[in-house]
Amino acid sequence: MAIRELKVCLLGDTGVGKSSIVCRFVQDHFDHNISPTIGASFLTKTVPSGNELHKFLIWDTAGQERFHSLAPMYYRGSAAAVIVYDITKLDSFQTLKKWVKELKEHGPEDIVVAIAGNKNDLGDIREVPMKEAKEFAESIAAIFIETSARNAVNVEELFQKISKQIPPLENPEVESNESFKLTRQPAPSARRCC
Amino acid sequence: MAVHSQVNGTTAIPWRGSRRKRSLLEQLKDCQDAWCPRAPWDRDRAHAAMCGATRGSFLVVRDASSQPSLLCVSTGAEDEVSEYSINCKDAVFQLSESRLSFSDLPQLVLFYSLTRDVLAVCLAIPHWMNNVTEMNNDHLSQLEPKTWLFPPPEQTEEIAHKTMSSMMCSIQLTSSNGAMCIINPLYLHEHGDDWLTQRAPACQQSNYTRMRRLSTTRTWAGSGLQSKRAISLDQEPSAASAESSGLTRARSADYPPTPPTPTTVVLRRPSRDLTHSPTQRASTGSLSTPSTPGNTTPELQCHSSPVPQSPHRVSWIEDGFWLPPPRPSSLLHPPSLELDSLSISSIEEEQDFQMPSLTSHHPSAHRLADKVIHRLSAVGQALGGLICQKKKLTYRVIELSEKKNGAFAEAVRAFVETTHKGGTDPSRATGSEFLQEVRSSLTSLRETLLDYPEIHTLLESITDLNDSEIDSLVELSLHKVALKPVATHLYTCIRTSWTNDGSFEKLQSKQRVLEKNSVEELGGSAGVGVPDSVILEQIQQRWTTMHETYSPNKKVQILLKVCKSIYHGMSANARSGTVFGADDFLPCLTWVLLRSDLATLQVDTDYMMELLDPAQLQGEGGYYLTTLYASLYYISSFQERLAVRQLSVEAQHSINQWHRRRTLHCNQSRRSKHRRTIRRQAGQEKHIDALENETESNTKALQWERKDVEQELADQSPTSPPALDCQPETQQEDITSKQEDGLSPCVEAEEDQEGV
Repeated sequence: MAIRELKVCLLGDTGVGKSSIVCRFVQDHFDHNISPTIGASFLTKTVPSGNELHKFLIWDTAGQERFHSLAPMYYRGSAAAVIVYDITKLDSFQTLKKWVKELKEHGPEDIVVAIAGNKNDLGDIREVPMKEAKEFAESIAAIFIETSARNAVNVEELFQKISKQIPPLENPEVESNESFKLTRQPAPSARRCC
Repeated sequence: MAVHSQVNGTTAIPWRGSRRKRSLLEQLKDCQDAWCPRAPWDRDRAHAAMCGATRGSFLVVRDASSQPSLLCVSTGAEDEVSEYSINCKDAVFQLSESRLSFSDLPQLVLFYSLTRDVLAVCLAIPHWMNNVTEMNNDHLSQLEPKTWLFPPPEQTEEIAHKTMSSMMCSIQLTSSNGAMCIINPLYLHEHGDDWLTQRAPACQQSNYTRMRRLSTTRTWAGSGLQSKRAISLDQEPSAASAESSGLTRARSADYPPTPPTPTTVVLRRPSRDLTHSPTQRASTGSLSTPSTPGNTTPELQCHSSPVPQSPHRVSWIEDGFWLPPPRPSSLLHPPSLELDSLSISSIEEEQDFQMPSLTSHHPSAHRLADKVIHRLSAVGQALGGLICQKKKLTYRVIELSEKKNGAFAEAVRAFVETTHKGGTDPSRATGSEFLQEVRSSLTSLRETLLDYPEIHTLLESITDLNDSEIDSLVELSLHKVALKPVATHLYTCIRTSWTNDGSFEKLQSKQRVLEKNSVEELGGSAGVGVPDSVILEQIQQRWTTMHETYSPNKKVQILLKVCKSIYHGMSANARSGTVFGADDFLPCLTWVLLRSDLATLQVDTDYMMELLDPAQLQGEGGYYLTTLYASLYYISSFQERLAVRQLSVEAQHSINQWHRRRTLHCNQSRRSKHRRTIRRQAGQEKHIDALENETESNTKALQWERKDVEQELADQSPTSPPALDCQPETQQEDITSKQEDGLSPCVEAEEDQEGV
């Protein structure tokens, strides 16, 4: 089974729980084949997806506004971006919209965008209605899910959805054959490979 | 452990104290009022008293009911005192953050003086305690907290005369077939091997301190500590104290504390730091910690009783011997300082060449049980075999590079020559451009090297590394023959280019502006820790080593070690369970950088960014390198007025230049991803060919120019983040007009890159 490394970039305001989501994802089903990383800003996890294994290389970004301009360094080359907001903070949803706009304009082509409304265990102090967020996500053809990193709700699902949106490698030889020669004309699917 | 046979090169360190001395535990009990003073001592008074105390100094404060309630530990940094609350119920003492429990307070203190566990630092028991004999023992009971924290000179003087015999704990180093392992003597004491009584030259004090480290990131697979065994923490075990002392085993909810379970081996998993021996210097973090189930030796787990799970495990009190390294029970725990996660190459390779052999001076008959020896030699051979392959490759590459009239030797010679000539003409290339040329030359060198059938055969014969590891190996050998001779020159070029355009000056002036800022002011969340002075010192040394290292891959490995130290400092005072992601890491890294030699770091960063094997850019090394770059950028472009809102246009501009290069690298690594997923077979050189050709053409297509501001501004607008929207309007117009002048070919090239 082929392993594909997929770079995933985490965006969103500071304090919305970006790292908590990923920690929950990585920690709950720990992959014993992968050596542990040195800190929570960069984590990896491999999940099966169809005929492939997807190894997520998860790049966290600093969410403070002052670091906003550094983000392109991180999202360049990403196969997917997870933009996280806090359902109890309307501001974080506004920031999310900015990120979506930026990614659409300057992000990698065909990047899979996933919107995660975190802290849905705090529904009683919700400021962002689920309907609104969902409609927004649909309008930009993004994955949408509400999560709770604290209660491990929908975290796994979030990444499963991302995995499903990553198109499989088109070249059947690549999938079935243990060895192949990289031709001088890389397959069109090559760009989705990271 | 009745059967003995000889292990060559065993270094035994005495661990039994002099018989005349009282055990440390007893002494701690005797002077309990000094470190756990009674009323009117309270928290505030303890804090005041601890001002200026050495790192690890501690006091226990009692609550209103005179029960010990709070452990105050000096972290050694600016009179900072960490606090840990102590729970004591039913004569069971534990730190509230840990599940390890003890039957009395001195035991708790003694334990945490040996192993840090959840603490930020090990507790430091004054050294003179080791020299207290029956004679002066009476003084102990009258000791004042002040004297405890700041011993008078005559007591400190004794430290100077401290002998190895006063050590409480030591280690056993054995070497068999090149494998070195660390065996905790508690185990041997418990199980009665006699070889430890043979004293060997005491040269391993540093290891003694190393042994005191432990990781809190591991799950507890052991059934706990048997009281009988734990008494060996004392210098002089006595029958009486054997019953009462010791660490009652770790408790977990599903495993109530009552009957102490008989326990097992106390062996420390060899950590990366300790496993270097001359014979294996070219290896391997991942190898030094046998990590596959195949290496498990069940026969060595003397007790086969099922072990209860508990979330805490102290690395040197693990059951079993060569168990696969335990997984972190939670990533939320602070990572250990050792960088166990890295593999492929030893960063200390260069230093190790000068290291005297620790292992070969003791041919006397040191004995280990057969099983241990068997296991050691198996591991040793496994390591030896692999190292052999790796070394063979390096040697072969070196040979080829020196071979007269050989194609590779010629290519290397030409490379070194050209590189030495290049980069000096200020009118021509900027530092980065020049480095890119170097990178593409390196890549063609690699092609030349891979043209040799013998190299192929050699690579084919390495079966236990995956493709990316093999790539790194080839890359490292190349660095040795090609980059090593030119590294100093490259540094000079980068430095010159940075000095000439005034960037260094700017960087350093911003450093002066920012260096007073706390980590919170730099954007970190409240309560996030920063490295203490000791770790900071260690980090500075690592930066120095990083600069001295010529291989970009190895530099990145050192960077990762630094990052690991920073994480360690961040979580030192944090509640356990706090997750620190990039929101806090970036400010912390920035804080550390502001206390470092920024100019040199900038040189090293450029060097790594441009010369690193592109395949590595998406992994952990790439992430932290990006973060280092980002942080340096944040510093050099810091503007007080705009600090909160955004970076300047200029900053955007340079980042965009950088994007272009990242895109290039990204595409390269995308392609190499294909390669990773398969085993290399006959077609290997072809696809490397294809890959490298593309690399080269990409490089040429996408040269970026630092000085071409006009062009860049034009480029920048279409790719700039929305933050730019907040620019003053005039500027915005300016940019727009330039943008209309043309979406430059450069931008299109970039887009093409993405599309490939």
